[in-house]
Amino acid sequence: MGGASGRCQDMNRICWWLVDIVSRMLEPAERDAVHGDVAESGETGRRALLDVLGLVIRRQTVLWKDWQPWLALITLVVPVGMLLSLISRRVADGSAIYIWLYANNWTLDYLTNVAVRHDLLSDSAEIGVGYLAVLCWSWTGGFLVGSLSRRTIAVNGPLFCLVLLLGALFGGPQFLRSWLFLPRPLGHTPIGPNAAVFLDPFYRVIFPLTVQTVLVVLPSLLGICHGLKLARLPRLLQTILWGSVTAAVIGMVTQNLVWWQVRTWNNSPPSLPRLPPLLLLALVGPFGYIVAVGCWRRCYRKNRRVPA
Amino acid sequence: MLGEFEYLLLTAAVRLGEEAYGAAIRQEIEGATKRRCSIGALYTTLDRLETKGLLQTWMGDATPQRGGRAKRMVRVTAKGIQAATTFYNAVTRVSRGVSWEARRGAVKI
Repeated sequence: MGGASGRCQDMNRICWWLVDIVSRMLEPAERDAVHGDVAESGETGRRALLDVLGLVIRRQTVLWKDWQPWLALITLVVPVGMLLSLISRRVADGSAIYIWLYANNWTLDYLTNVAVRHDLLSDSAEIGVGYLAVLCWSWTGGFLVGSLSRRTIAVNGPLFCLVLLLGALFGGPQFLRSWLFLPRPLGHTPIGPNAAVFLDPFYRVIFPLTVQTVLVVLPSLLGICHGLKLARLPRLLQTILWGSVTAAVIGMVTQNLVWWQVRTWNNSPPSLPRLPPLLLLALVGPFGYIVAVGCWRRCYRKNRRVPA
Repeated sequence: MLGEFEYLLLTAAVRLGEEAYGAAIRQEIEGATKRRCSIGALYTTLDRLETKGLLQTWMGDATPQRGGRAKRMVRVTAKGIQAATTFYNAVTRVSRGVSWEARRGAVKI
C-alpha cells in the first residue's frame, strides 16, 4: 500500500517536472498564466501535463500554418543537417582507417623512431584538423537553425538532430553520390582496399555514430542554444555575426565541389586561385560569435559602470 | 456566427464580470457543461476571440493561491456582447417548438 502511494507520488513529481519543461515552449506571459491556472485548479501532475501538452501542440500547429517554418525546414534543417551528417561520416571513416592501421600494427617504434613518429604526429594532426572543422561547422549549422527557427525550434531542433544522426545511415539521395563520394549504407558488404577496416562493426557503426554524436550533435545543440539568444545582441554585432556564419556555411557547402575535384586530378591540376584552408573557413562562424558576444559584454559592463 | 465553445466562453466571462480570468472561466464552463475544459482549447479560443475584437485580455495580479503567478484577465467588448446575443437569439429561434424546449418549459413550471 505504502509502495503504491510512493510510486504515485514519484509519478506525480515527474509529471510536474515535465509540465515545467514542456511549458517552456510557451511565451513567458502565457507560461506564467498557465502555471497559475493549473496550480489553482488543484489538478494532478498527469492531468496538468496533458493540459499543457495540448496547449503547446495547438500553439505549434498554428505556427506551422505559415510558410516561414516550412521554408526553414526545406532550405536549412534538412539540407544542412544532411550535409553535416555526410561530411562527418566521411571524416569519421577516413580517420577510422588510420586508427585501425595504427591500432592493429602498434609498436613502440611509433614513439621511438623519429620518422615513424613524424608520420604518427602528422596523421594525428590531419585527423584533429578534420574533427575541429566538423565541430565548427556543426556549431554553425546549429546556430543557423536556432536563430532562424526560434519559434518552431521545438520541432526543427529535434528534426535537425535526427537528420544529423540518421542522414548518413541511410546513404543520402542518389544524385549526391557522385558529388560527395558517399559511404555505403549499412547492410552492404564493404569492398575495396579498406574493406578489412569496415568489416569490423566497431569501425562501421559504433565509431562513426560516436564521432557524429560528439562532434556534430552536441556542438549543434550548443549552436542552437546560442542562435536562440541572437536577438539579445545589438544590430551591428548581429550583422557581423551573420556575415561570418554565412561565410562558414558557404565554405562547408562548396568544400567538396572544389577540393575533391582538385585533389582527384592527378595529372596536371589546373591553375586555380589560391583558396583558403578549410579549417579557417570553418572557424569563421564560432570565431565571429565569440568576438560579437565579447564586444557586447564589454559594452554592457561599461554602460553599467557609468553613473546615470 | 459564433461557435458553441466561443459562446460558452463569452457567457462565462460576462457572468464572472470583473473576476473573469482563465481558471475561473474554465471552472464556469466545466460547471455548466459537466465536461472537462482543456487549457489548450480555452487559451486558443481566447486568442481567436481577441483577434476578432470580441474580448480583451491583459495580465492581472498574482495571488498566493496561484503560486505567485499572474492571471490572464478577460473583459468582453460591446462587439462580443452583440455576437453572443445574436447566437443566443438564433439558438432560441431555431429551438422554438422542439421537444426538448417544451420539456424544459414544463420542468420550469
